[in-house]
Amino acid sequence: MNSSIQTPTQVYVPFRAGLPPLIGYWKSLWSRRTFIAEYSRSELRDKHFDSFFGQLWLILNPLLLSGVYFLLVVIIRGNSDSQRYVHLTATLFLFYLISNSLTGGVKAVTGGQRLILNTAFPRIMLPISAMVIALFKFFPTIVVFLIIRTLLGVPFVWQMLWAIPILLIAMILSLGLAITISCINVYFRDIASFLPYLTRTILYLSPVLYESSSLSNRVLRFEILNPLFPLLDSWSRVLVHGQAPQTSSMLIALAWAVVIFLIGSYIFLSREREFAVRL
Amino acid sequence: MNLPSVSNEKKTSEVAVSVRGLGLTYTTSIERRPTIKARAKSLGRGKKHTRVIQALNNVNLDVDYGHVLGVIGSNGAGKSSMMRVIAGIIPPTQGRIEVFGSVSTLLALGVGFNPSMSGRDNVLLGGLAAGMTRDQIEDRFDEIADFSELGDAIDAPMRTYSSGMYSRLAFSVAATVRPDILIVDEALSTGDAKFKEKSLNRIKELRSDDRALIIVSHAMGTLREICNDIAWLNKGVLVQRGEPNATIDAYQDFLQVKRSAASDEDV
Repeated sequence: MNSSIQTPTQVYVPFRAGLPPLIGYWKSLWSRRTFIAEYSRSELRDKHFDSFFGQLWLILNPLLLSGVYFLLVVIIRGNSDSQRYVHLTATLFLFYLISNSLTGGVKAVTGGQRLILNTAFPRIMLPISAMVIALFKFFPTIVVFLIIRTLLGVPFVWQMLWAIPILLIAMILSLGLAITISCINVYFRDIASFLPYLTRTILYLSPVLYESSSLSNRVLRFEILNPLFPLLDSWSRVLVHGQAPQTSSMLIALAWAVVIFLIGSYIFLSREREFAVRL
Repeated sequence: MNLPSVSNEKKTSEVAVSVRGLGLTYTTSIERRPTIKARAKSLGRGKKHTRVIQALNNVNLDVDYGHVLGVIGSNGAGKSSMMRVIAGIIPPTQGRIEVFGSVSTLLALGVGFNPSMSGRDNVLLGGLAAGMTRDQIEDRFDEIADFSELGDAIDAPMRTYSSGMYSRLAFSVAATVRPDILIVDEALSTGDAKFKEKSLNRIKELRSDDRALIIVSHAMGTLREICNDIAWLNKGVLVQRGEPNATIDAYQDFLQVKRSAASDEDV
């Protein structure tokens, strides 16, 4: 007992700009992983997503959305088929995973004000929880999608397993976006008001309401700038058309996700010690 | 001193917290809510967006195990800032803080970070964030709920709580966790007279040779009663440190407040 008392259990010294010691940070984050699970669970319970009608709403909401967008597509194009509807639901549901991470992440740090002001913990837990919540909301929709797909008679093929790595990339991207936007919101609190315009723009720039094959080459060249484009395109190829994704799309999607995640985490980690005085 | 004289050779008079040359400056935004809109509006006018605040300046302080340190000072003296630095919430700008033991980081308003969740969920989440395990929290949960006297309200969303209920729960958590070093920030003077009495008794119970208590309060009467050491901060500088009565008297002389019954009461 005595010997353990002689060495300080915690030492706090001024920090230089840049990252905190990453190994210690990771250990402290890992030891609190139950917080992330518990926080996501109580957040979902708070929104009544643990009840039957809450679950139903989780399914009904994206279904209604896909119905509305399908109506839009039918009116604009004048004709449509079931494949288009399958494409729309598949990509829209994945898009909502990313967009829910963004909308959940934007308030993650500022909403945790009381906790941040009074407890020492790795702040990155808060945007991670936001992404986990978005993921929990995503899972029921994938079940709905598979049912729609079966009902419309789209065959199941082994290429569909490519959806797993694509989902993993989408998770990295969602996490990176949640971390980045939660940090930006500390310094610019009105970013939340701009967010609906941002997500709406990304939605229209991504192959959700249309397929990438219907775009001209001139437009396609610029889509490398949209992090979601290769992701949603591969997702549709795999789940709707039952084809293996293009390697180039997968690599671009992965590169975007990793870059956003790394930049976002760097900004967040180098700033988070300041959050307590900024809130 | 008021401390129980049962000597426990383990930790008594070993240092619990060592603060060396602590300085804390931070920049905070002038606007309550920093926004892009505000930034854009003041573009080109050369208006400053941030203010630098010197919260603490070269503070040296040791807290030994078995001691109860009271921290006094006017509003804005840096008391809460110092507690947050010791708890590891804000990193210091200068100096070095060494903490020998576990700190209860649940300060006055630690629980209840999400008002739409129940008191129970908030206690669990606050504890998990502070690094406790779920079992540790669940073991103590009944004790917390009993002590806070919230009854069924513990399962109601915290936005339905009164401010008294809020602080009763906060105090109960902090006092039940039994850390090596307990920091109580302004939580003594909350709740009704009965709960105040009860929390005071709990603080007295918590005084033991293997624990260090740091209490930030404006309740001079209480501090005289329970502390054996007082640190007086003024504008971020440690003015005086020492025996409770002498230090509090000096502080009250400084404030030009006569030691009347009123100023001795918990305000």
